[in-house]
Amino acid sequence: MMNSMIIGKYVPGDSVIHRMDPRAKLLVIFIYVFIVFLANNSATYAILSVFTFSLVVLSRIPLSFVLKGLKPVIWIVAITFLLHVFMTKEGDVLYQIGSFSIYEGGVKQGVFISLRFLLLIMITTLLTLTTTPIEVTDGVESLLGPLKKVHVPVHELALMMSISLRFIPTLMEETEKIIKAQTARGVDFTGGPFSERIKAIVSLLVPLFISSFKRAEELATAMEARGYRGGEGRTKFRQLVWKWTDTAFLAAVLVLAVVLFALRS
Amino acid sequence: MKKLNVRAFVLIGVYSSVSYLLMLLNFPLPPFPNFLLVDFSDVPALIAALLYGPLAGVFVELLKNVLNYFIVGSPTGVPIGHIANFMAGITFILPTYYVYHKTKSKKGMLLGLAAGTAVMALVMSVLNYYVFLPAYTIFLGAPAMSAPETKALIISAILPFNAVKGSMIAIVFMLLFVRLSQWLQKQTAVHHV
Repeated sequence: MMNSMIIGKYVPGDSVIHRMDPRAKLLVIFIYVFIVFLANNSATYAILSVFTFSLVVLSRIPLSFVLKGLKPVIWIVAITFLLHVFMTKEGDVLYQIGSFSIYEGGVKQGVFISLRFLLLIMITTLLTLTTTPIEVTDGVESLLGPLKKVHVPVHELALMMSISLRFIPTLMEETEKIIKAQTARGVDFTGGPFSERIKAIVSLLVPLFISSFKRAEELATAMEARGYRGGEGRTKFRQLVWKWTDTAFLAAVLVLAVVLFALRS
Repeated sequence: MKKLNVRAFVLIGVYSSVSYLLMLLNFPLPPFPNFLLVDFSDVPALIAALLYGPLAGVFVELLKNVLNYFIVGSPTGVPIGHIANFMAGITFILPTYYVYHKTKSKKGMLLGLAAGTAVMALVMSVLNYYVFLPAYTIFLGAPAMSAPETKALIISAILPFNAVKGSMIAIVFMLLFVRLSQWLQKQTAVHHV
């Protein structure tokens, strides 16, 4: 429970995918999300699936972890599939039960749309499985760098993001402590009527806001005392290094885009 | 608009993690479909707005959703739910902030929260009709709903749900505000002399 709140679903490892520059991963996924919609026939979907599964294999993460990410949506996918199978009336009739008939086009459509959806989830799950949230933050800060020119506070956003990530475990502990302290004073957090529940929540929130505010003040004072003055000219503890493999993956997804565009019907 | 300083940035960061944790403690409301969840993560955003101005509140809403997307992820892979939550958050806190700012009293806050709830419920209904429900159709591949069907879903579920959600947050925030208003005044007095 605790762990999943700090690092998300990250699975430590040392594969090619793990070692990729987070910027490259983000770019690849960004392009992927768009080109998924290019696929519209068997050949393009096959190529797309092969590409996605190769990435999963390269990450050396057991397939079961990736499939776990699909679990919460499996029913939605199943229902979508069935709806398409029964509702689409295109192509030859494959099967007939009473007044219901299943058309070839419907089955195709159902398979394609479910597959597109599953591939999209797999690729985003793969990102969270192989990249820590802090790496993603660094990657986003670097990629959005050019927006500083139009006065988007990119550095400040990344700073706030790192502070949040750093404080999640601390504040979780704090919350647990307050819940225990208030329970000892007779507050019931587990049930009771609506008005009691609201009171219980308020008795948790008041100390939580005050204590987290104090923590923020202390950190801000410490930063000011050490001469923090924004992103300009600041050096970094975690350096991002763009390697040839990153260029290779980016090139691969661009080739994929061209191939899909050429083969789509 | 006040320029945000280091103190504000750090507080926004810390309150975003409070907001993120409160977002994890979400729960469905029995009569509504279970993709509509209530949580109290808008409360820290509203306090941040009262301390350091509306932009601070918007940042807390933004970071809360980005954190949730990075760590928990989205069942659809694409952050549609997160964008919807962000829009709901800012349409709730901004009207509340501006109405309260006019009078700066408990009554003003009550009026503000009512305005926030109303604006949030209305804007979210419109956005769901034109943006979010169609987006779910595109990304989930769910069969497109006809216009009357979408309208029925919004009027029977989304509009009342957001109204109830807004009122629940308003009740909790009002109770909190009564206890915290002196402390809040002291903090703002210290920082904006």
